[in-house]
Amino acid sequence: MGSQLSNVCLNLIASLLEPHEREVVLGDLTEAGESGFRSSLAVIGLITRRQVGLWRNWRPWLAAFGIALPGSLLLMGLSVSVSRSWQEYLGPEIMRASGLHLGLGFVLLLCNVFLLSAWSWIGGFVTGALSRRTLWVTAAFSFAPCVFCLERFRIEALSRLCLLLFLPGAVWGVWSGLRLARLRLSRALALAIAVTALTIPSWSQKGAWLPNWALSWPAWYLVAASRRTV
Amino acid sequence: MLGEFEYLLIAAAIRLGDYAYGAAIREELQTTTGRSCSIGALYTTLERLETKGFVKTWMGEATAQRGGRPKRMVCVTPKGVQAAKDFYEAIRNVSRGIRWAAN
Repeated sequence: MGSQLSNVCLNLIASLLEPHEREVVLGDLTEAGESGFRSSLAVIGLITRRQVGLWRNWRPWLAAFGIALPGSLLLMGLSVSVSRSWQEYLGPEIMRASGLHLGLGFVLLLCNVFLLSAWSWIGGFVTGALSRRTLWVTAAFSFAPCVFCLERFRIEALSRLCLLLFLPGAVWGVWSGLRLARLRLSRALALAIAVTALTIPSWSQKGAWLPNWALSWPAWYLVAASRRTV
Repeated sequence: MLGEFEYLLIAAAIRLGDYAYGAAIREELQTTTGRSCSIGALYTTLERLETKGFVKTWMGEATAQRGGRPKRMVCVTPKGVQAAKDFYEAIRNVSRGIRWAAN
């Protein structure tokens, strides 16, 4: 019973290794006649060394601290802002009034919806492309601020889920980044220009440039990364 | 220049020749040096040596002794042999004339 349990634990832990390496390592441990507990410790040691090795590169650091952590915080703020604006402009009273005098405010709302989607997707894409094998740690860096903000969300008129409006776009971006790694130069450039152009109206606002650029630089990183392939 | 453990690993692989693979190298190191060698140290060092072009590895046969799992066979390249020779020469040179009596 005890050895069965330790074997289950060992196989669970070993599943964190690459398939070919897992088979070789488990074979070595079987050949050496190591106990399940000692084998589990050995595999944990290997996984730890592998993870530490991955973090010797600059890419996972940039993905975690340059994009995931600040990006999730800023995008949650934008998600709430977009949700409130949406409620304001397309709330039941206004729809009932049927005037549809949406004007400049509505155009700005649409711009913000586009920016939220684009920033989320781009941030996710660059995170996926940069971190790959460290993605679960990077995801934790994004997850932690989300839990913190969900816990402290106090706007009664809005659902807490409004904080996570950016999430579908970001997840899609990560999936695309893992699959493609790079964008074509023309697409990356179009995206970067569109995102930057849409932030122009806010340039006059004091203090807006920092969050804007914190969210926009990954788009220009995509341009720089794609240029090398063309 | 090789590190100490890298040298030990290459030397063990050369001694084992055609039978050099993960578990055998580990046992050889433990027997000859009297020090334990973790799986983590073995495989991360092997990967580093392969990146530097000092060893080549490939998947070998699976045996019943290993629960039907394959071996990771290891072969030292000429570049690896040269690096190990250089390391050994350096150790010999630096050790020449030393009196090992405890002070």
